[in-house]
Amino acid sequence: MEKARKKVTAPEAGQWPDKVLLPALVAGAVLTTVGFLMAFLYAAPVNGAALSTPQLVGDNMVTNQQLLSQKIFYFHMPVAIVSFVALILAVYYGIRFLMTREARFDTCSRAAMEVALLFVIFTMVTGDLWTRFEWGVWWTWEPRLTTYLILMLIVIAYFVLRNAVDDPERRATYSGVISIIALVDVPICFMITRLIPSSIHPVVTREGGMAPDMALTVALIMVGMLLVAFALYRLRFRQLRLAERMQALKDQLED
Amino acid sequence: MNAVEVRGLTKAFGTRKAVDDVTFDLPEGAFLSIFGPNGAGKTTLLRVLSTLARPSGGEATICGIDLREDADKARGLIGMISHSPMLYPDLTAEENLMLYAELYGVENPRARVGELLDAVGLAHRRLDQVRTFSRGMTQRVSIARALVHDPRVVFLDEPYSGLDPHAVEIFDQLIQSAREDRTFIMVSHDLAKGYGMCTHALVMARGRVVTFAPKDELDFESFATLYRETVGMGVA
Amino acid sequence: MNTPSTFRQYVTLLKKDLRQEFRTREMLTSMGIYALLVIIVYGAALALTARGIDIAHMGGGLLWVLIVFTSLLGLGRSFAHEKEQGCLEGILLVPLDRSVVYLAKATANILFMLAVEVIAVPLFYFFFMTGEPAAPTLPAIVVPLLVGTVGMAGIGTMLSTITINTGSKDVLLAVLFIPIIYPLLYACVTATTAAITGTEFWTDFYVMPLVLACGYDIVMLLVCWVLYDFVVSA
Repeated sequence: MEKARKKVTAPEAGQWPDKVLLPALVAGAVLTTVGFLMAFLYAAPVNGAALSTPQLVGDNMVTNQQLLSQKIFYFHMPVAIVSFVALILAVYYGIRFLMTREARFDTCSRAAMEVALLFVIFTMVTGDLWTRFEWGVWWTWEPRLTTYLILMLIVIAYFVLRNAVDDPERRATYSGVISIIALVDVPICFMITRLIPSSIHPVVTREGGMAPDMALTVALIMVGMLLVAFALYRLRFRQLRLAERMQALKDQLED
Repeated sequence: MNAVEVRGLTKAFGTRKAVDDVTFDLPEGAFLSIFGPNGAGKTTLLRVLSTLARPSGGEATICGIDLREDADKARGLIGMISHSPMLYPDLTAEENLMLYAELYGVENPRARVGELLDAVGLAHRRLDQVRTFSRGMTQRVSIARALVHDPRVVFLDEPYSGLDPHAVEIFDQLIQSAREDRTFIMVSHDLAKGYGMCTHALVMARGRVVTFAPKDELDFESFATLYRETVGMGVA
Repeated sequence: MNTPSTFRQYVTLLKKDLRQEFRTREMLTSMGIYALLVIIVYGAALALTARGIDIAHMGGGLLWVLIVFTSLLGLGRSFAHEKEQGCLEGILLVPLDRSVVYLAKATANILFMLAVEVIAVPLFYFFFMTGEPAAPTLPAIVVPLLVGTVGMAGIGTMLSTITINTGSKDVLLAVLFIPIIYPLLYACVTATTAAITGTEFWTDFYVMPLVLACGYDIVMLLVCWVLYDFVVSA
């Protein structure tokens, strides 16, 4: 009884995404740069604490501290979101792998996880600068910070695990499972650190929404970062995939 | 009915094919020896047939039961004796066998375990921890463990490793007495031994079947020559 | 031959683990001694400040550090026997649901961890907390201890199944285990500290974390239960 098993279509190097790879990378870089300039030149400065006496900055009289550090926000939020998108992509491919046992999904998952790690580190760095300038400390066990620290540690552990397993199929399976656990763990971590009342750490909430100029800048940078992340992911995937194919050819030659 | 039917069985990961398009039929009561150099995919084939690894393509049936469709049912028909005994060293021989008997749901487990320990000649040591046994004795308990649920097909994966000649002799006798109408599939490096016991021989290289034939079509000399030629290696 | 019920197989596997442990007492002794050693290290670490610090507020955290590291030790060992002689493969050859293997092992780990806690927690109390009168709410620490142990054993069983097949198993187990259980740890420490201090509004810091910890346990155990087949068959 021959049962037609559905042929799984897995991503392969040289498919259409590779054609848009370069434009995406350039567009991403341009958008991010434009956003960078806009963040400083276009978006209005955000007022911080009130000053005791009004001061003249440029041509304007200001009564509040002008927060330059607030500009970090324009990068911090997009990288944080991109890191999460990359993580979700990695988990998606991890699940696809577990369902199909197709090695290429594991390669995808790994490439996406590498991008996720990169952006998680960006998030941590920008977030930490923010923490330093806004709250005056280098580190505080605030829910978002804690959650990202935990996320970073789990992603690092993911790669430590990958290195420690020799058998490729086993490595792929374990990686898929750990990525799923990570994705489940992270929201719970955020919820728990956020919801548990704590006498020491105040829960920081942002007040109000974003002004249109802010929103536009953030949106531009976000699209730029997403494009860059996509290009990085695809480049990495292509590289890994070609290395795999080369290895396969070498093996064939040996036979 | 054939005890084992394998059709185009493949176990691959990515571009690496450990088992590549293996096809053969094995009648009931046969003893198949699988030969091949290291990395030929013998052990992987055995792991796929014993449901420890999932095939990535093709079909395999044990006594008519498809390994993919109904792995649990197939598991009830399979026994496995490997180079690692699969026994808990801190438990006694009897406790180990009782554990497996209860997991398999053997009827009247205590009687069955007693009978098996008698058969492998270890009834007097049944209350001793497996840790205290010699390698040969451990492997005898392992035979009893593999037969506890009266399997139809028994897999042997390098069962001789670490056994001294005397222990090998006892092991062979026990296997012969367990033959009855069971089907055996053995992977071994020992060409002479594997050839001596088998009714069918299968030679693998790079995951593929090079030769599959009943033994009466091959005498040892020509078989050894064939093996050397096809595999490109000396007799182990 | 009729396949026994899943529950019977679960009991058989659990009995096997317990019998093995009673015979060797390997995990219990090593975990128990380790717990005592951690307490001694605390003694040295707090030697100069023992009277100055507010032990009621720190006790919960210190207690959980003790439990986390002790259970890491036990969890790392829990699959050593299965791997040594290929026993896990022997079990996998039996027609049984893979999650039964997980549940039996997780139960055994919960029992071993609880057994160690029964000794280690009173010891901890004896060494560090007898200086001040105990809050009347102290017995309430039992619930977070139980919830935390269940979650840690559940996750830990899964992770040690993974790490047993790797080169540097103990280090890797810690590297995976600690970040993943962090939320549970955070909730349990909060609830335990609330129970130890027993201040006026202690239930505010007790009930909510416990509810969240239970939620974590349920979600994580479900995820592990579903994914265990992949891990153990790999």
